Amino acid sequence: MKQFGAAVAVFARSAYLQYIALFQWATIRGYVSYKVLLPITQILFFVQLGVFASGRTNALYYALGNALQVTAEAGIYGVIATVANERQNGTLPLLLASPANRLVTFLSRASVNVIDGIATVIVGLGITIVIFGLDLHRANLLLLGLCVVLISFTTAGLGLLFGSLGLITRDAITIANVVYYLLLILCGVNFPVSRLPSVVQVVSYGLPLTRGVEAARQAAAGASIKQVGGLLAGELFVGIVYALAGYLVFRLMEAFSRRGGLQEAF
Amino acid sequence: MRLRVISPFAMLAWLFFPTIFAVVGLYVLSRPSTASPQLAYAILGGGLVGYWAIAYLDGGLSIQNERWSGTLEQIFAVPTPLWVIVLGKVCGSLLWGLLSFVPTIAVAYFGFHAFLPHIDAGRFAISFAILSLSFLVVAVTLTPLYALWRWALPMLNGFEMGFYILCGFMFPVTVLPAWARGAGGLLAPTWATRAIYASTTNQGPHDFGSWWFASMGLSVVYLVGAVFLYRLVDRRARASGELALA
Repeated sequence: MKQFGAAVAVFARSAYLQYIALFQWATIRGYVSYKVLLPITQILFFVQLGVFASGRTNALYYALGNALQVTAEAGIYGVIATVANERQNGTLPLLLASPANRLVTFLSRASVNVIDGIATVIVGLGITIVIFGLDLHRANLLLLGLCVVLISFTTAGLGLLFGSLGLITRDAITIANVVYYLLLILCGVNFPVSRLPSVVQVVSYGLPLTRGVEAARQAAAGASIKQVGGLLAGELFVGIVYALAGYLVFRLMEAFSRRGGLQEAF
Repeated sequence: MRLRVISPFAMLAWLFFPTIFAVVGLYVLSRPSTASPQLAYAILGGGLVGYWAIAYLDGGLSIQNERWSGTLEQIFAVPTPLWVIVLGKVCGSLLWGLLSFVPTIAVAYFGFHAFLPHIDAGRFAISFAILSLSFLVVAVTLTPLYALWRWALPMLNGFEMGFYILCGFMFPVTVLPAWARGAGGLLAPTWATRAIYASTTNQGPHDFGSWWFASMGLSVVYLVGAVFLYRLVDRRARASGELALA
């Protein structure tokens, strides 16, 4: 019990410090540009592209897909940047030398970005609903909210996996860009996954977001939790697998970089 | 240019991002019932997005890099005027940005068997040259803002996709609400982009003269603004010597 209390304290302290020291958008101008302007214009751009292709009746399809993909921005960029920033600030060796529980420290890095992802999708989707006059009166809003929260967690799992590569590469942000933008194609954000080649579809269903977006679209059409339960369970499973894989890779990379004190040498 | 060849991010800018936009555009816009004018937006849109992003941001990023490297003040101390230095950087960016069309057209042709059957080569070439000129002028005009205000680059970077919307890179501005069309009309690339897409189809209006004139006219207006901005930067740099802290 005492050990659990200590772990909770480490988690809370680490999450707080992550926010005040490593949350790189924690200025009003930074937040407005990267967390308000960029996601909103991204959603509007793809919704408008979809409206141009198939008419205004399909605007909700594109709005939901892109709003949920924007959630991944916090989960992927935010989490990957956290490790990259430790390296840039010269605090990575200190973090790796600390006796704190690695799993707790690792997960606490994602927590602020999960909350931020949820906030971003609420603002982005809200503005899109107003601009395009989207109709959500049939939507199961509670279930839709659950989808948003779940996707924020699962994409952070993906971020944790690629963030751990930040221990052995200087180009972690380049990796973040590649991962984030590939989701636009692979996860059914703007067109159904079924239109992709069958091999690519296997990759799609091995990624977070794919099932979550599908569930969210069904929730927006009024589906119940029973109808989308399988999709949500699958999304959660994929997210947990990525988070655990991320933790294992982090430990592996940590051990590798410790040998010869190479934490800042890559 | 030589620095870009070894930069992973520069590779992303001409190869990866435009390809992603092209693939999304091709999946969304190319359907069995899709009319060819829509397909043109999918084929060229990704390239235009990449070309613009490199052209208008690279000048700013280079100034920001000078600031981070502590060499911003030295640039002002050299006898070469700032606009000449910026022009060189932006011309390099434009050349690099042109590469964006290589992966996007290749993806369209080999991946989706999509091509432009009705292209008017002469008008397309003139429109493209005017578009490049407008990109050059926009980049040269914006760069002093990055030197004056540290926050200008993140703000404009954050609005990047807003420019894609207002300039009509992947769909015509005519589908936008009136207020957005008005805002887009104030941007020189919007008119040149419209001319480019009109040169790929026989349908719709073909008012090339007006569009070219509008784009070039706006570019001249931007240049007048740029003269004022470059003088302001020069005065601020010499008067306070605190440009690196801006």
